[in-house]
Amino acid sequence: MNKHINKFIICFAVLLGILSIVSLSIGRYQIKFEDIPGILAGTASSMKINVFINLRLPRTMIVILSGFALSYVGSVLQTVFKNPLAAPEIIGVSSGASVGAAFAIVILSGGFYITMLSAFIGAVLALFLSLFIASKSNQKSLASFVLSGIVVNALAQATIMFLKMIADPERQLASIEFWMMGGFNTITSSKIVLVVPITVISLVLLMLFRRQVEIMALKDEEAKTLGVDIRVIRPIVFLLCSIVVASIVSVSGLISFIGLIGPHLSRLILKHNSSRVWMVSGLIGSCLLLLSDMVARSIGTSEIPYLCFFCYK
Amino acid sequence: MKKLLLLVLLCSLVISGCSVSSSKEMKTNTKSSYPQTLVDQLGREVTIEKEPKRIVSGYYISTSLLIALDLKDETVGIESKPEKRPIYSMAAPEFLELPNVGTMKEFNIEATLALEPDLVLLPIKLKDSIDVLEELGITVLAINPESDELLHETIALVAKATNRIELGDNLLNKIKTFNEKLKTLLSDVDQKSVYLGGNSELLSTAGSKMYQNTLITLANGKNVASDLSDAYWANISYEQLLAWNPDVILIASDAVYSKEDLLNDTNLQDIKAVKNKAIASIPGNLEAWDSPVPSSVLGSLWIASELYPEKYSKEEFGQDVRDFYSTFYQIEASVNE
Repeated sequence: MNKHINKFIICFAVLLGILSIVSLSIGRYQIKFEDIPGILAGTASSMKINVFINLRLPRTMIVILSGFALSYVGSVLQTVFKNPLAAPEIIGVSSGASVGAAFAIVILSGGFYITMLSAFIGAVLALFLSLFIASKSNQKSLASFVLSGIVVNALAQATIMFLKMIADPERQLASIEFWMMGGFNTITSSKIVLVVPITVISLVLLMLFRRQVEIMALKDEEAKTLGVDIRVIRPIVFLLCSIVVASIVSVSGLISFIGLIGPHLSRLILKHNSSRVWMVSGLIGSCLLLLSDMVARSIGTSEIPYLCFFCYK
Repeated sequence: MKKLLLLVLLCSLVISGCSVSSSKEMKTNTKSSYPQTLVDQLGREVTIEKEPKRIVSGYYISTSLLIALDLKDETVGIESKPEKRPIYSMAAPEFLELPNVGTMKEFNIEATLALEPDLVLLPIKLKDSIDVLEELGITVLAINPESDELLHETIALVAKATNRIELGDNLLNKIKTFNEKLKTLLSDVDQKSVYLGGNSELLSTAGSKMYQNTLITLANGKNVASDLSDAYWANISYEQLLAWNPDVILIASDAVYSKEDLLNDTNLQDIKAVKNKAIASIPGNLEAWDSPVPSSVLGSLWIASELYPEKYSKEEFGQDVRDFYSTFYQIEASVNE
C-alpha cells in the first residue's frame, strides 16, 4: 500500500513541478520560460528580473505553500475530528482572522502589513478562546471542541457585522469584502518573508506528530492505551494547525475551501487515510490552487478573487 | 466730473496693470521643469524625472482628465471596461483598444509593468498596489478627486506632472467661470427644494457628504436630504419623502427606474414634484456628471437649467456643453435628455 501511495506522491510532485514552471511563465508581463535562465543569471533586462523576483516567484511560492499547507491541515483536522466535514473554520480560526483583518481595516485603517499582523493575531486569539471554552466543558470530548468552535464563529460573525456597520462604505467596506474573497494579487517578496518560515516550521512540526495524529483517529481510550495522551496532544495539534492556517490566511484572505476539497480528493483517489495520504492531499491542494491562480490572473484583464472558484467555503 | 473720470481711468489702469503682471507670472510658470518633485494626494513625495511619454491611468476620472489635457497620444493603458464610458468612443476611440490594467477593485500590477509606463495615475483606494509599484521603481501619482476642491487639486497636480499647466489652468478657469455664472444668474431666485433619487431605487438618496449634494448646492437648489450625513447612498422611507415634499425630483444617471415609474407610483401622488411632473433624469450620454469627473461642473449647470429654466435656459445649457466639450475634448457634443 505504501509503495502504491509513494507512486502517487511522485506523480503529483512531478505535476506540481510542471504547473509551477507554467505558472512562472504566464502573466500579463511577458516573461517566457526561455527567459528564466537569463533572469537567474542576471543577464535579462532589469525590469524582467524585478518582475520575476519580486512578483512572479513569490506569488508562485506562496500559492504552492498555501495549497499544500491548507490541504494538509485539512486532512489532519478531518482525522482528529473523525469528521469528513472538518475544516479550519471549525475551530474558528478563519473567522478569527477575518475579525482581525476587518479590525485593522476599519479601526486602525492600516495597510497590508498591519492587516496581515492583525489577521494573524485574530486567528490565534480565536483559537485560544475556542480552546478555553472547550476546557470549561465537563466531558472534554470532541463535541465540546466543535461546539466551542461554533460559539467562537458566532461571536466573530457578530463582531465582523459590527465592524462592517461602522465602516466607511466607499472604502473600508469594500476592502473588507475583498480581503475575505482572498487573492494573491499584491504579494511581493518582502510580504512573504515572515509568513513562509512560520508556516514551514509549524508544518514540519505537525508532520513530526503524524503518528500521534493517526492514533487520535481511534477512540480516546484506545489512543490512551497506545500511549497517546489526547488531552495533551490535541491542543498542540490544534495550535500548530491554527498557526499554519492563520499565517496563510493573513496574506491571502479566506481561501480555506481548498482545505476541505484536497483531503477528499486524495481519499477518493487512494481510498485510504494515513499520514502519507495527507502528503498526497497537500500536493493535490497545491496543484489545484496553482491552477486556479493561473486562471485567476490570466483569464481576464483584472484579477478574479479566489472565492469565485472556491466559492463554497 | 473730470476728477471722477480721472479716478476711473486710474483705477482701470491699476487693475489692468495688475492683470498684466499676473498673466506674465502665469506665462513663466506654464512649463514644468524636470526633474520635479510633487506631493500627491496620499501625501507621498513623487519625483518625476522627465516629461511623461507613457502614461497609464487606472481610474476613469484620471483617464477623462488625460483626454482633456491633450495627453491622448501619451496614454498607453487605461482601466477595464472602457466601453462603459461614452466619452472615450467620442473623444478618444483609440482608448477602447488600449491594454487594460484592471479595475479599482482588482488592479493588475503585471499588466501595468508590461506597458513600461513612466507615469501611473491611480486612485488612493489602490494604496496596496501603489506601494508594490513604487517598490518596483515605477512612478505613481495617487489621486483622490472625491470632492470639488480635491478634483481641482487633482487637475492641477496631473497638469503639472505632465507639462500641461496651461491646459490645466484653462480647464480650472472654465470650471470657475461656469460656477460664477451660476452664482450671478441665480442670485435672486426662489430656491427650489430638490430630492435626488439614487441609482438602485428611488428611496435611496445623497446626503450632505456626497458629491451630488455639492452639485445641487452649486445650482442653488436645496437638497432636502442635506441633513443626512451618510457618506454613501442612504435609504429613506416613503413617509420621509412625503414629508420633504420636494419641488423637483432628480434621478441619478444610472438609475434602474424611470420618470414614468414615479408618475405611476400611487404613494407619491401628493408630492409637488410629481403633481407638476417636475422629474428628470441626469443625462449620462456623455459622462457621469454626478461623479467628480473634470466635466462635472456641467452637472451643476444641468441641474440649474432644470430648476430655473427662466434664468438659465436649456438652449444656453446646450451651448455651454458644446463649448466645454469642443474646447477640451475636441468633439461636437449634445445632451440626450
